[in-house]
Amino acid sequence: MTVLITALPTIAQMAGVNRVLRGVSITSPTGDVSLAAADELGLRRQILERALALLAADVAPATVWEVAP
Amino acid sequence: MIVVHYLNQFFAGLGGEEAASLPPSRIEGPVGPGNGLRGAGLLVDTTLACGDNYFAEHEADALSQLLAWLGAIKPDVIVCGPAFGSGRYGYACGVLAREADRLGIPAVCAMAPENPGVLAAAGHAYVIPTAPNVAGMRAALPLVAGLARRLGQGEPVGGPADEGYLPRGLRANTVASKSGAERAVEALLAKLAGHPRTEVEPDADRVAPAKPLADLASTTVALVTESGLIPVGNPDRLPSRHADFWLRYPISDVRSLSPEGYQSVHAGFDTTVANADPNRLVPLDALRLLEQEGRIGTVYGYLYTTSGVDTPVSAATRFGQEIAAELVTAGVQAAILTGT
Repeated sequence: MTVLITALPTIAQMAGVNRVLRGVSITSPTGDVSLAAADELGLRRQILERALALLAADVAPATVWEVAP
Repeated sequence: MIVVHYLNQFFAGLGGEEAASLPPSRIEGPVGPGNGLRGAGLLVDTTLACGDNYFAEHEADALSQLLAWLGAIKPDVIVCGPAFGSGRYGYACGVLAREADRLGIPAVCAMAPENPGVLAAAGHAYVIPTAPNVAGMRAALPLVAGLARRLGQGEPVGGPADEGYLPRGLRANTVASKSGAERAVEALLAKLAGHPRTEVEPDADRVAPAKPLADLASTTVALVTESGLIPVGNPDRLPSRHADFWLRYPISDVRSLSPEGYQSVHAGFDTTVANADPNRLVPLDALRLLEQEGRIGTVYGYLYTTSGVDTPVSAATRFGQEIAAELVTAGVQAAILTGT
């Protein structure tokens, strides 16, 4: 099973992806260049924790989650 | 116009399951549903029949004999079925129709939309959708006969919505009555008025969501990306657009994707930020932390990558199927796919 992290969740939904997590930006789905390195790693970890939670969740088709719950 | 009709042993009147191992046979004139086609205005010249099991178990032999007959008869059109929900029969219809079309013989099938024969036809046949059982015969035959007659006579045939056949995955150029600018403005006004509409329906492959992962702590998680991430120097020459393959790189000894070791060759976005820290495309460093803490089982030892730029859906579908097959074989339960 797959979770897709992308800043273009609408396209992912159109393509039939069932578990989508909204990424930070198109050029940097799992990072944020405006943050200090330690904070960025913390954000990346938070993104992954949400991605794992989405994998462990019972979802309807084409579900999109935000990183901030 | 010369018309050939393909049937299985049952509809050809050769017998039921006990006759399913019969090799291909050739019968002059219409048989069974072929009589219904005649009633709908399509006269069958030759009926070809084959046992469902024979075709499934000896596909190359069956196909070789059937195509040899088609080569000799030189029909203007071939009709296969209707096969309704029958998987073996539908598959034989789809394969024969596909190969006939490759020989330049237009092919019309009829079967239930879920029948594996629809996929087997691979867009080569016009497939009229039917009910899953023989009760759909009466409704299907006039549609099949009408479409086959026009194809056989070389008359133009409209799109799937107009003609009632299943989409074949093709696009045809047509002349629109208004320019793109006018249609775009009309679509925008309609959307603003609360009635969004589209000229192009995405042809998505819908699957039911997978059951939730029960135990993350024992799950092997793979990282997959279409962001064009590859080792610096691009040793395997991943194209920056129109990639027609994917790559696999070992990461079992990698803690974090360093800018000295990895870069993106994706032509679809500005890679400056990502190349300064490739973990922004593939979050390996943070996933290692979660692995270390026992939140997941392990990170799978290979990273799967391609560059998803101008990629045809057919190619992307193939990549997904190939990568998923490898991961399943390797015992990977979950994939984190990053897209740009």
